[in-house]
Amino acid sequence: MSTALLEVRDLSCRFGGLMALDGVSFSVASGEIFGLIGPNGAGKTTLFNLVSGLTPPSSGSVIWRGAAITDLPPHRRNRLGLARTFQNLRLFDDLSVLDNLLVALERHSRSSSVDGLLCTARHRQAERQRREAAWQLLEELGLSALADRQAGTLAYGDRRRLEMARALGTDPALLLLDEPAAGLNPAEKEGLCALIQELRQRHRLTVMIIEHHVPLLMRLCDRMAVLDFGVRIALGSPNVVRRDPRVIAAYLGGDASGETP
Amino acid sequence: MIDNGLLVQMLLGALLGLSVYLPLAAGQLSLATPAFYAVGGTLAALLSTRWSVLGATAAGGFPVLSLLLELVLGGALAGTLALLVGRLVLRLRGIYLAIATIALVEIVRVAILNLPFTGGAIGIFSIPQPFTDASGYLLTALILLVLTGWICQRLDTMPLGRAMAAIRDDELAAGCMGIDTTRVKLTAFVLSAVVAGTSGALAAHFLNTWNARQGSFDVSITTLAFVILGGSRAWLGPVVGGLLLTALPELLRPVGDVRLVLFGLVIVLGPVLAPRGLVSPELLERLGRWGSPTREQKP
Repeated sequence: MSTALLEVRDLSCRFGGLMALDGVSFSVASGEIFGLIGPNGAGKTTLFNLVSGLTPPSSGSVIWRGAAITDLPPHRRNRLGLARTFQNLRLFDDLSVLDNLLVALERHSRSSSVDGLLCTARHRQAERQRREAAWQLLEELGLSALADRQAGTLAYGDRRRLEMARALGTDPALLLLDEPAAGLNPAEKEGLCALIQELRQRHRLTVMIIEHHVPLLMRLCDRMAVLDFGVRIALGSPNVVRRDPRVIAAYLGGDASGETP
Repeated sequence: MIDNGLLVQMLLGALLGLSVYLPLAAGQLSLATPAFYAVGGTLAALLSTRWSVLGATAAGGFPVLSLLLELVLGGALAGTLALLVGRLVLRLRGIYLAIATIALVEIVRVAILNLPFTGGAIGIFSIPQPFTDASGYLLTALILLVLTGWICQRLDTMPLGRAMAAIRDDELAAGCMGIDTTRVKLTAFVLSAVVAGTSGALAAHFLNTWNARQGSFDVSITTLAFVILGGSRAWLGPVVGGLLLTALPELLRPVGDVRLVLFGLVIVLGPVLAPRGLVSPELLERLGRWGSPTREQKP
């Protein structure tokens, strides 16, 4: 499929004796929200690590807009338009909220380090643009009031949103969200759901999302893949996946031959 | 008690402190500073004593312009060495990087000790003097320190400095945010080497004699102590640490051998009483955020 934004082809990852991912293939089309579910240890985060370049695959390839990026380091993949958040929140804790965003916005700069040292007009203009973009993102995610705070001192929900803002700062085409709703209360989960839809519209994003909260994901996603023990056991629209007997057996807790729960 | 000669040494200490601080600002614990200091010093000692084009006189004089050229060359040679070595050693993290850089210090020390043209254990002596007294050295060292401090200050408001801080906090996340971590770490390492190499070139003239002992493992530890005592969160920290810890052994000279005990006590008690260094983030906050960017105003 040549229109796919991202394609993973026969991706495997072995950690010693453990096959974390075993020949997983699927593709994500431009503009869709693609969900990834599976029981704990199914290989969801491993898949994200392979796609974002943190872990090298044992075999298989990651294809971005038709070209293999399997050998590229994480920062090169980010610059192609692939950004992610982390399940265990990896903010720059000692930096201010604003500086967290400015780090991500670096790629928009056309000024060199020499410009920066001499504080040339070009540097000042690039800084001004970066700051404007950063404030806009803070506004968008409701973090403006916290701009001066050290990222490490924020409340949990704010940290989650800052991670999304930081990923958006790199101007991605594809945003990988690793359990963005973890630890949020039901009201916050609803808010997050609306926020993701809204951000997708405004930033013209394709979103890939790992989530344990299945009802939320079913509502949010256009398509989804289900992993179990490193193997892709289902792929398709939420309605199709919901009825797949293998999914019900592995994940949703019904019995394999029975009714939809 | 503090004469111009000691002041020059204190300023050189502050410069070496900054040389350790720069990689640390990008989260890299490098102890290679003495190696680059030795490379710069040896180059200056060799050039000024062997290469008559630079204009050393029979009476031991030396043109100031030639000194400036040596400072540039010393920094450039150290920087080039850092560029070559950095590609290899910066793959290592934390304590492993520290050990690899100690190895570099040892290799450079042994090389200088055994090369046929560096004077063996005696070293190179009668290095010509560009200035008639210490005040000329004082001015030169002060200019170098102001220049280095200014660069460190500018880094805080530049993408490079922010990328360094991001890598210090979380290298993996920094990579995922599009930062070329290898390049940023290498840049910090090269900057550190340039500062050390330039300082070495000045020190060789100031000390009048240069040998392999100038860049030993002891210096690695002493310069690291500058940063730990002074604080590693702002460039003023290593400057304060370098000035104080260089002056202390001289100031304590009247008490005789006890001075080494007192010196050791300061190094032990410093981190206990001020765990984030004398120039701590809290102190910077109180000083009106000196040495860190001004508070953000929403446009």
